[in-house]
Amino acid sequence: MAGEAGFEHRWRHVRLLFLAFLGLWLLFTLFPLYFMAITALKTTAETNLTVPTFWPEVFAFGNFAAVFAEATNFDALVDSFVIASLNTVLSLVLGTLAGYAFARFPRQAGGENLAFWILSNRMFPPVAILVPMFFLFDSTPWGTDSIWSLVILYLVFNLPLATWLMMVFFRDAPPELEEAAYLDGWTPFRAFFRITLPLVLPGMISVAMLCWIFAWNEYLFANLFVGTDVRTYTIVIPTFTHGSQTLWNLQMAFSLIAMIPPVTLFILLRRYMVRGLSLGVVKG
Amino acid sequence: MSNVILSKVNKIYGAGRTGVHAVRDLDLTVNDGEFMALLGPSGCGKTSTLRMIVGLEAITSGDIHFGGVRVNDLEPRERNVAMAFETYALYPNFTVEENLAFPLEVRGVPADERRRRARELAELLRITEILTARPPVLSGGQQQRVSLGRALIREPAVFILDEVMSHLDAHLKFQMLFDLKRLHQELRRTMIYVTHDQVEALALADRVAVMSNAALQQVGDRNALYNRPTNMFVADFIGEPPTTFIAVERCDRAGAIELRAIGADIVFDVAAERASALDAHGGRRFTVGIRPQNLYPCDHDPRMAGKVVINEYLGERSILSIVTGDVTLRALVPPETRLAPGDHAGFSLDPRDVMIFDTESGVLVA
Ligand SMILES: Nc1ncnc2c1ncn2[C@@H]1O[C@H](COP(=O)(O)OP(=O)(O)O)[C@@H](O)[C@H]1O
Ligand SMILES: [Mg+2]
Repeated sequence: MAGEAGFEHRWRHVRLLFLAFLGLWLLFTLFPLYFMAITALKTTAETNLTVPTFWPEVFAFGNFAAVFAEATNFDALVDSFVIASLNTVLSLVLGTLAGYAFARFPRQAGGENLAFWILSNRMFPPVAILVPMFFLFDSTPWGTDSIWSLVILYLVFNLPLATWLMMVFFRDAPPELEEAAYLDGWTPFRAFFRITLPLVLPGMISVAMLCWIFAWNEYLFANLFVGTDVRTYTIVIPTFTHGSQTLWNLQMAFSLIAMIPPVTLFILLRRYMVRGLSLGVVKG
Repeated sequence: MSNVILSKVNKIYGAGRTGVHAVRDLDLTVNDGEFMALLGPSGCGKTSTLRMIVGLEAITSGDIHFGGVRVNDLEPRERNVAMAFETYALYPNFTVEENLAFPLEVRGVPADERRRRARELAELLRITEILTARPPVLSGGQQQRVSLGRALIREPAVFILDEVMSHLDAHLKFQMLFDLKRLHQELRRTMIYVTHDQVEALALADRVAVMSNAALQQVGDRNALYNRPTNMFVADFIGEPPTTFIAVERCDRAGAIELRAIGADIVFDVAAERASALDAHGGRRFTVGIRPQNLYPCDHDPRMAGKVVINEYLGERSILSIVTGDVTLRALVPPETRLAPGDHAGFSLDPRDVMIFDTESGVLVA
């Protein structure tokens, strides 16, 4: 039928438009990655050419070993990993408990306004509290230059997010399921772990990813707080810039290595993430 | 097994002027092994009552006893009650078998024993073929059976069902009603069945408690509710099609009492033994209730007559709507009654079937 053909025709246009958009988007997102990768493989001389090359003349795989010439550079990756992981665990535990309280006992937990105020803590520019936080942590027994400083400091950013998202996930988990479990003979504590927690687990995993990536990538506070006893990888990256020149190839090689943990985590957990992020949207 | 006694139970949600008085001074006794239906329109406080019985909602005032034990301060898990929820509330990430066995797990029943009992119950409920499925893929009727099974598996003292049929289609409902009745006859558990559907309540229950506006209106078996409703609400709510109410005025003549309809030419005789009740009550104006089932078509010297406006054919019965003066009557007649809109029809009735209510309070007078 003519109408159907017209419909098909229109669909083809939409598809073309979509593919064009997708192509453009891929160009913008993949080109920097591509350039990063080839720069990491170039020799230092090649990175300094006035006309950049888009494919390395010789592959300098040695760059990936050279970044660890400074042995503490590897320790920085370990420190970042430890800080991000500890902070994520703390954010999840506290955020899950607080989110549950806000979802199930809104009145006792302080109500919608308190919940929103907690989320709003995420909205101010972090630099606004940079100096006060420095003095605050400087007066602690362990000082600013410690893993614990950053683990606790990052709670300021991750805990509001974790609390709010977990609250949304718990609201979507029907309270009748817990009530049914109480009647079946379970204590509230055990019912929570057996029934409700598994329901919000995909959501929890996405929250964990978001928290972990924030803490892994944080630079501003890390740069000011740590540097001697503890170093995060983010403050190592600028050290490849020396007075007279920047070792672009080493900087890119190190950045690529730093991308491995989050990318691996993402690949392992992406199925949960997709389910978790759609949990708040799709109702059964 | 145990009986359930509610005395002066109140539930108020919230406080102050915004508080909702959901259950008011409820007195109710459910006998051991009895099948009691709690019937009332939506929002009248049925679910609130249940939730107080099972312990999911705090009791604002009053007492609840199970078999002589006051349970007000007991946790739900300490009351040995089971409840099937309106929303089924099946655990979505467990299989049907795990759902059924969940109440046994916390009681330390060994795994193979749990399996055996789950399978036994699945057979009784005819759900053996879905034991390994997860709830989200089941049909409404299947979910319903699983939720019944989960409530039954641990042999509770009191078994409570909240509007469990309201999401089933008519055919499935009929089957489930039958199964539930059979289950009760086999198990002889104390059961409280909540519904807004009088057909379900009357079909299943030994006795029905009718609620309206947060208060209990009447408790009784089918006969009591049908023939001796305590007030106009019960007379209206019980029975299908509903009772016709007619405003009447008392006329005394030659020792006999008549009730004359206001705005229509209908006269109801009042038998001598009921006249004393009217005398004791006093007043001249009443409301008469007549069930459509109690009007009989009659061509010779009818009690009332009027013009047919609607003839609803329902298969095994027809409902006639008849207008006389300001009054519209309904009559349930055999389907072969050949009366078309516009026809003239006469009816008679047994004076004993006339229910007389106080117009203001709605309470049955005689
Ligand atoms: N948790 C609650 N908070 C406030 N009001 C409630 C709550 N639960 C029920 N109500 C109110 O109490 C009344 C009775 O509700 P409910 O017991 O659910 O009635 P039913 O089950 O008969 O439909 C309704 O007016 C309802 O709005
Ligand atoms: Mg209800």
